[in-house]
Amino acid sequence: MPLDTSTYALAHLRLDGRRWSELRRIHGQISTQAAADGSAYFEQGNTKILCTVTGPQEPKRGVEVEMNVAAFSGMDRKKRARGDKRVQEMQYTIASAFQSTIFTHLYPHSTITLNLHVLSQDGSLLACALNAATLALIDAGMPMSDYVSACTVASAPSSDQTLDEQDPLLDLNGLEEQELPFLTVGTSGEEGKVLVLLMETRVQVARLEAMVSVGLDGCRQIRGILDGVVREHGRKVLESRVS
Amino acid sequence: MAPYTGIPLSPAELQYLHTSLSQNPPIRPDGRSPTQFRPLVAETDILSSTNGSARICFPDGTEAMVGVKAEVEKTWGGGQDVDGERTGQAVEDEEMRNAEVGAAKSGRGWGEWVEIGIELPGMRDDDALPIFLSAMLTEALLADTGLKDTLWINTRFHWRLYIDILLLSQPLSYPLPLLSLTTHLALLSTRLPSLISERDEDPLFNDDWEASTHLFPRSKADGGSAQKPPITLLVMSVGEMIFFDASADELAVADAVVALSVTQPLQPTSTSATEAEILPLKLVALRTIDPPSRLTAGGVPNALNSTSTTGTASTGNTSTGGILAIREKDQGQSVWRPPRGGVKRAVVGRMIKAVVEKGGVGMEVMAGLAGVET
Repeated sequence: MPLDTSTYALAHLRLDGRRWSELRRIHGQISTQAAADGSAYFEQGNTKILCTVTGPQEPKRGVEVEMNVAAFSGMDRKKRARGDKRVQEMQYTIASAFQSTIFTHLYPHSTITLNLHVLSQDGSLLACALNAATLALIDAGMPMSDYVSACTVASAPSSDQTLDEQDPLLDLNGLEEQELPFLTVGTSGEEGKVLVLLMETRVQVARLEAMVSVGLDGCRQIRGILDGVVREHGRKVLESRVS
Repeated sequence: MAPYTGIPLSPAELQYLHTSLSQNPPIRPDGRSPTQFRPLVAETDILSSTNGSARICFPDGTEAMVGVKAEVEKTWGGGQDVDGERTGQAVEDEEMRNAEVGAAKSGRGWGEWVEIGIELPGMRDDDALPIFLSAMLTEALLADTGLKDTLWINTRFHWRLYIDILLLSQPLSYPLPLLSLTTHLALLSTRLPSLISERDEDPLFNDDWEASTHLFPRSKADGGSAQKPPITLLVMSVGEMIFFDASADELAVADAVVALSVTQPLQPTSTSATEAEILPLKLVALRTIDPPSRLTAGGVPNALNSTSTTGTASTGNTSTGGILAIREKDQGQSVWRPPRGGVKRAVVGRMIKAVVEKGGVGMEVMAGLAGVET
């Protein structure tokens, strides 16, 4: 367990063998569903999210997000009720993040609907959802100011060391999220303008700055990955057209 | 003005489709034969946190994903049977099956051990469509008694199977066959950890996933062929013609739509089982479904056409009774009229035969899905 300092302090390796600044295996694909206006599939480790975009459509409601967590996504099978508060809060956070990024003034009387399907969850749910939604919106051709990339950061594992000895952990899996205080940071653009900063646990305030700066760097790395996915897809589309 | 039904076809287009489908041989809009399925994309074992999973994409863009999870549950009132009752039943089972394990298990499964949940985008859980679909799929699954027996562990514990179906796209056409085929594929790939403990002690399983057993085993040890989960196919009819894998356009002009659930029975365990001795599939459920064609608006017959100067409506009788009489007399000959009434028994009989017979559509679909399994 991460809080059991014996294993971490020895080799500074987490349970899955990563160091503090390493991201999990990240994989993204866009245009996975022909029937939707835009679609994307994004994996961060074992957290797998599928996002589809429909719109712009008639009734004016801005950006609407619907997140559907599958019953088989966690370790135990758990069917969520429709009005689950945690899911509603995540939906609201994602919607407001994109409300400020998408050029909604170009679609004055429209609704843009994002449907997120969580197929498997193992930590960093909100971050993965934001990343998947970005890719899907780009696939739909929605004009945005920049990519929205997000990741999670946890404070250092032990609670009594001096600050400069322990580094915050980047990109948490499910087990680490349960044990350590963590925050989710979502940024837009290369310079890292913060759009989302969510923390549900408590941490010493002196550690906050280090966590946020590590998070910003992580978001920059993820933005690079998202950009790579989009460019790769573009290259394939161009090749199939030109030949 | 007719209410909007989601079918963007005019009465002329509907009449055109209906006429071309009632020809002999019928002409389908995409040129397929009546029993030809559209190509689909299927994959299994995509979710690592489930016991079994599958995803199928139909060419019209609809996509479904199914995840199967199994949990051990305490059997209510288990292990408290009267001794005499239990031995009596065990003796009976000995005679029916040769395997010792089979004798202890058969006849003890319960329907509540299988739970199917369906998520359709934009619909609540208590809407009519998800409830109806899940009832049909559960009915077909539980008609096969073998599954319930496989979930039995001992007298105090059993497996509870949760089958969660996600429709990942908007339902463009009736989603039942898509969901059923995906469920079939997911169940084929479902594995349960192998049991180490014995008899009635608390269940203990082998940690090694390689040692896990399939819920629907590939082949039985004694040489008979494997038991397979059921599939539900949607068959539509137009006049005397029957069609499989109907697209949304074809369903909009259907006279009748029937959902047939079939399963493959246990094959006889003879050593010389030739092609000719393979049993046909077993029909487990048959339900009629209200075709969307009943919601379409009828066309306006020429006699009632008030815009043209030669129509009688512009000159004479415009009472409701009169209009109705003219429409009834037309009887859908000159313009489209939504279909009425039921379906002929002979047509239903031919539908069943086409699905169930050896080398029929049902076996073809099952063989195709079995090919997906790695």
